[in-house]
Amino acid sequence: MKNFLTLSVTSFVFSAVLWVLWHFVDTHVLFLAGKGGFFYFPHAARVLCVVYFGFRAIPALYLGELVGPYILDPGIYSFSIFLPSLISVMSVPFALTMLNSLGFTLGQTRASPLNRRNYKHILLITFISAGFNALLVNLYMSRNNLSFSNAITDIEQVYRFFVGDFLGTVFVFIFLAMLLIPVLRQARN
Amino acid sequence: MKEFYRNISDALAMLDGMEQDLNIRHFTPNELKVFYTIIIRAAYNEHGSNITDIVENSGMSRSTVYKTLKKLSIEDIIQLNQSEEDGRESLVVLNS
Repeated sequence: MKNFLTLSVTSFVFSAVLWVLWHFVDTHVLFLAGKGGFFYFPHAARVLCVVYFGFRAIPALYLGELVGPYILDPGIYSFSIFLPSLISVMSVPFALTMLNSLGFTLGQTRASPLNRRNYKHILLITFISAGFNALLVNLYMSRNNLSFSNAITDIEQVYRFFVGDFLGTVFVFIFLAMLLIPVLRQARN
Repeated sequence: MKEFYRNISDALAMLDGMEQDLNIRHFTPNELKVFYTIIIRAAYNEHGSNITDIVENSGMSRSTVYKTLKKLSIEDIIQLNQSEEDGRESLVVLNS
């Protein structure tokens, strides 16, 4: 129970902080303003938390997804995002389940088909989950005639979601690697 | 709690591998800014970004950008190709 609480708080804070950072960059950083779709940081929280904490992180991640658009900046979206956010969070479990069914089970040793200590394997999960997220969220939006302001729900938006989730996650990974250099160095010695 | 720390330790091991492969640990904040700008520009132009674009988008001085590009090029992280449209212009391309 204590472990569940700890991982839930960590997942929630991580997801919400990444959303705030992304929103700030998307609205305030001059040359990146309005281009946030191409570097969506919060997907990194989905990937990292589900891969390392397991499916138990899903409720906290879902709350983290909702807190930004509903509490920090209400009205940013013109439609309800309860279901799209759930689909986005579930894109990582979908990717892991698909890989698992193909024989690529997630483990933590070199012998594991998917080693969670190997960043290339994590990038593969990111790639597939970004694909699921792009396809399923846009399918839902398209079938319900929903769209973001100043955007059309079309194949270009699918592409933007896909590239944005992947690039945003890579960006966060590099940032964390740089930020945690002292910790990593200490752990290595 | 032990399980939580084990999970965090695995995540750190993953980041450590990435940091070692990218070989960017000795970069200064200004150099990192230039590097991140190159990554972002790469999303818009697969043939490479010109140096003027990088100077404008990174907010760094031309000399800092040139020094950083030289360092990244020596580290084999990027390569500088001559533009086909303008022979005087170099295009910065990320190495895969």
